[in-house]
Amino acid sequence: MTATSLNPKPPVRVRIRVNRLVLYTVLVVVTGLFLGPFGWLVLTGLKTSAETAAAPVHWVPEVFQWHNFADAYKLIDFLGYARNSLIIALIYAVLVTLSSAWVGYGFARLDAPGKKTLFGILIGSMMLPQMITLLPTYLIFAKLGMVDTYWPWVLWGLSAAPYLVFLFRQFFAGLPRELEEAAIVDGCGYAQIFWRIFLPQSWPVLSASFVIAFTWTWGDYIAPQLLLSTDRTTLAVAVMTSYVTTGGQPVTNLQAAGSVMYVVPILLIFLIAQRGFVAGMSTSGLK
Amino acid sequence: MRHPQAGAPLSRRRFLGLSAGGALGGAAALSGCAMQVSTGGRSSGETVTMMVKPDDITPELVKQAQKDTGITIIRVDFDITKLIAMLTAGNPPDLVRAVGATDAAYFAARDVMQELDPYFAKSSVLRLDDLDPVNDLWRYDGKTQGKGPRYGMAKDFSQDSMFWYNTSAFDEKGVDYPAELEPITYEEWLDNAGRLVQRSKGQTTVFGGSYNGLTKGTLLASMTAAAGGSLFSDDFSRVDFTTPEARKALGWYIEYCRTKVGPSAIQPDPNGWDGPTYQAGRIAMSNAGYWMGGLINTDRKLAEVSRLAPAPVFEGGPRISSCQGGTGMWMPRKARNKDAAWRIFEWYFGEAPAKSRASGGWGIPTLKSLRSLMPAQEDYQKRVLKVQENELEHFSVVAFSPYTTGDSFEALFNQAAPAAMKGDISVDTLAGRLNSAINEQLKRGKEQVG
Repeated sequence: MTATSLNPKPPVRVRIRVNRLVLYTVLVVVTGLFLGPFGWLVLTGLKTSAETAAAPVHWVPEVFQWHNFADAYKLIDFLGYARNSLIIALIYAVLVTLSSAWVGYGFARLDAPGKKTLFGILIGSMMLPQMITLLPTYLIFAKLGMVDTYWPWVLWGLSAAPYLVFLFRQFFAGLPRELEEAAIVDGCGYAQIFWRIFLPQSWPVLSASFVIAFTWTWGDYIAPQLLLSTDRTTLAVAVMTSYVTTGGQPVTNLQAAGSVMYVVPILLIFLIAQRGFVAGMSTSGLK
Repeated sequence: MRHPQAGAPLSRRRFLGLSAGGALGGAAALSGCAMQVSTGGRSSGETVTMMVKPDDITPELVKQAQKDTGITIIRVDFDITKLIAMLTAGNPPDLVRAVGATDAAYFAARDVMQELDPYFAKSSVLRLDDLDPVNDLWRYDGKTQGKGPRYGMAKDFSQDSMFWYNTSAFDEKGVDYPAELEPITYEEWLDNAGRLVQRSKGQTTVFGGSYNGLTKGTLLASMTAAAGGSLFSDDFSRVDFTTPEARKALGWYIEYCRTKVGPSAIQPDPNGWDGPTYQAGRIAMSNAGYWMGGLINTDRKLAEVSRLAPAPVFEGGPRISSCQGGTGMWMPRKARNKDAAWRIFEWYFGEAPAKSRASGGWGIPTLKSLRSLMPAQEDYQKRVLKVQENELEHFSVVAFSPYTTGDSFEALFNQAAPAAMKGDISVDTLAGRLNSAINEQLKRGKEQVG
């Protein structure tokens, strides 16, 4: 008997199956970890108020309280707040995607003295916590008479976002120089190159940028809370603050049901745009 | 290779010019949308901006205000950062919600509140002789809360050291009910909580009692007063947790936490407040005042086994029963529409909304004339009302320092106290640490006030 026959290696097919089993097990566990909080939110939204406070914990409601979702919808002007969120998110996502692409193109393709320093400052501004700029932000918009309007989101959208600029800059830097040179030979200026050559090539990163920007704004609590009145605010603020008893205390199960409904549009947008989103993130050199 | 056109100054300028033009064009294109949305749905008449929480003014009340007074209310969600921003920008709301016990002196000392005495003097709705003493929480004479000009008014109140108890939990454990008109001592309360707590597999399934006050600052100030002392110095610029009375109050609270008979920083209730847990039969005694009856009354079965009990006392200490909240509203000195704001103030505190609150059971009305509206149809409501009426005789204002907010005090307490709750440091060590941290905070606050 040879050594090999004494310690036989499992056939390749078996090893592949075992490896896959391990891989899938790990993936299922990790997926469970990520889905756990959302699952808990859904279950809480289906419980009675007493069940949310039960001990030992009621993992699954005795009777699913589906009406909690209807109650959560009716208790506040859900559609109105959702419309406000949608308008703000669309304004910002469209504008910031275009302006960031424009700025990213400039950083990727144009040369000027101090470009690297300017880019460093831009990226450095990502480190500035939003909390620090809250009061000055309010004061500026108050002086401009823009409090309780959606103008701040227009201006923020037009001023590009550092992270998205970085995303576009990385993507555009990877496009071959020959494309640009051929266009210049054909008489194109920089604007035409951007609109006719670069943008049509960048659907994946445009899609990623739009999803990121839309999600930021849809999920933002601080800016609408600071700048908008109760009737004009967004769903993020309303869901957080409006499900309360007459005495002002939170109603957990309705808050959970409202939160589930609040998250659904984001999930849908991601599901629709996920292919472009993943491609955009990977082709921009960010993995 | 660089193409002759690439990087040429003219092209770069054009690029920048196009950027600016695009920005302006985009703004112009979207401005219609933005402005259209932002101005929709508001009347052109007189408006009053109120910074409130959703339960203070519902959309239905906004409509009712329009009908009753002809004034349009614009609601702004209460947020302290936003309030400071609005005050700094010089465009404050016309009315602002606040907690009388902790916020009234704080804002009055910073000279941002409008004195309301001239308005009260002229009002036929909010007469001075009809105001409940709890409204004195909204007075401040420059030194002490409870005296001097009025800066606001409470919408309703409770005596927040009282507690509710579930007779079923007492029956199950064979524990005698607390007397309804005479207070038990804090020591007896803790002893009862220890007998009522139920645990299973290391988990607390029924809290023996919950006793956390509205904020730690007001809780400890009230308990120190109940022990016969004062947590703050005469000028409110310092705390002293090492006095025998404050030490007694602090020691009791830390013992309550250490024994884990109820929710605390080291054993939090995930619900964040007692209501749902009490409803689920998982709290035998809940330190909430009359206001929680608003919740209890919605569940007849629960209401029939629930009782309200007087605020506990310390052995040998005075019987006092303070209000730790007294939430209401104030008018900023720079409010733009003071007369309309006062009309809404009168309407909110003395007319339809006040009557509705009084009959809902979510607190005691702050006008004596509205007390007859408190719920008393059912036997259990009559029983609760009797206890509450008896307790009102022992009401007193426990003043809070104008040099800190209740939230700041709470944050400092929650940083230092868990070590003592876990038994890692002694109560005396904690008292010293709290004195250092909170006095530093008070010193900074006093410097700001000047």
